[in-house]
Amino acid sequence: MTRQPQSRQALPRTPNKLDPIPGRTASEEQTLGMIVGLLSEITVLRARLDACERLLVEAKLLPAGAIDSFAPDAAAQAEREAMRTRSITKVLRPMQELAEQELAALTKETLTTENGT
Amino acid sequence: MSWNESAAAQSHPMIAVPSHDELVEQLFVRDLKLHVMQVLEPAQRAIAGQILSDADARISNNPLANLRDAMAPLESFKSWLGIKRESQRQLWAAVAGSVERQADELEQLAAIADPLGSVTLDPDFTVPAYVAQGDIHLMPGGNGFDDGSVLQGAVMDRGGAVYMLGRNGGMLNDLRGQTAIAHLLTIAPDIRPTRILDMGCGIGTSTVPAAMAFPDAEVHGIDVGASMLRYAHARAEHLGAGVHFSQANAEATSFPDGHFDVVYSCVVMHETSPAAMVNIVAESKRLLRPGGIAIHLEVPLIHTFGDHWQEFSSELEAQFNNEPNWRGALTADHGALLRDAGFAEVQVGYQSTATDARSSDRVFKEASDGVFRSWFVASGRAPQP
Repeated sequence: MTRQPQSRQALPRTPNKLDPIPGRTASEEQTLGMIVGLLSEITVLRARLDACERLLVEAKLLPAGAIDSFAPDAAAQAEREAMRTRSITKVLRPMQELAEQELAALTKETLTTENGT
Repeated sequence: MSWNESAAAQSHPMIAVPSHDELVEQLFVRDLKLHVMQVLEPAQRAIAGQILSDADARISNNPLANLRDAMAPLESFKSWLGIKRESQRQLWAAVAGSVERQADELEQLAAIADPLGSVTLDPDFTVPAYVAQGDIHLMPGGNGFDDGSVLQGAVMDRGGAVYMLGRNGGMLNDLRGQTAIAHLLTIAPDIRPTRILDMGCGIGTSTVPAAMAFPDAEVHGIDVGASMLRYAHARAEHLGAGVHFSQANAEATSFPDGHFDVVYSCVVMHETSPAAMVNIVAESKRLLRPGGIAIHLEVPLIHTFGDHWQEFSSELEAQFNNEPNWRGALTADHGALLRDAGFAEVQVGYQSTATDARSSDRVFKEASDGVFRSWFVASGRAPQP
């Protein structure tokens, strides 16, 4: 049997007929889908890191438990702290943005009241 | 659990083999599904139990509707339903990615030089409305999908095994077919069929067991999806089974009258419609020679369910996982369907799950042993003239 596929397009990812769940907004469904997607990514990432660690130990490039007993020096600590802060700021940006917008609106309101305009 | 991180080795030659990351992604789906089933669902069951213990619900003549109304506004109910469906979407997305990466290898594997069987496609085939109107099990593109490749079949194979959480014969996913053939050997131990037909064969998981149990028989499988059928052919060949696959609607095939000794279907009825069920049973009768045997295997019927929650939960599964004829198939009087179609010696009951049709214990009885431990079966014989 020799046969060439008519096309080599990506397989579809969205099923036909997704009944709405009563009382759930589209935005709630989106958020859920994104969180579960991230959970999947994190799970794969952790497994890959675990595989790396085990392979490095097996290849005798790392002693067993080396990562758990790792003590970063001062410079490394500073870099790692910056990495953590960057991640937190990046992920929680929308919360900060909204707070800033609400603060700006309130400030404008106060100024307007004080100026009597 | 028969499926784990050694799963890449526990396969058959045609199945899409995941990389390290893809396998973890698929195992994540399995574990997410187990979490939804074993941690989140019991809480919903407890809530339902509380609602049902209310006196008003007990005296209601429609406790299921009451339960639906009482649970629908609950936030935990909505989020359980949402994550249950999302777990299913994650399943297909994970498997599709892995299959796409292996597209070239899979096509090469599917190019069989000297096949034992065949695959015949119909370019003018119209997929029945009950398949086209909603993608069954939320598999994107649906069972009728065709892009000229074997990829949708590969998605269905690997995805189906993950979907069943490995409980239906691991990566072979063939226990329903083994069980249908075990039923045949229960009611006709010495049968030596010349021709056998599997209606709604999908990727042939239920068809190959017939070819293995009856190596001298001419075994056919029909279904609606071209990609699935191409893949089914390749899969069967790699398993050493000669099967003739063709694209046809089980309600009305082009095989001649009385062409087969055995016609069977496995979990097909609940994916069709009430009218189609009648047609499929009638078609299975038309295709049998006098004395030939029809077997239709299904999931356990609703009246065997233990409680209202189980029934409600299965209705939600049917609605949000696109099972078009769930209630129709699970409440039908299958014995009457077969008798009305003209079958004799009609038997209705539960066949214990067989891992191998020939060597497993053959037990057929009235009561269900529970999901996966036994399968509902209705069978009958075409009358002798």
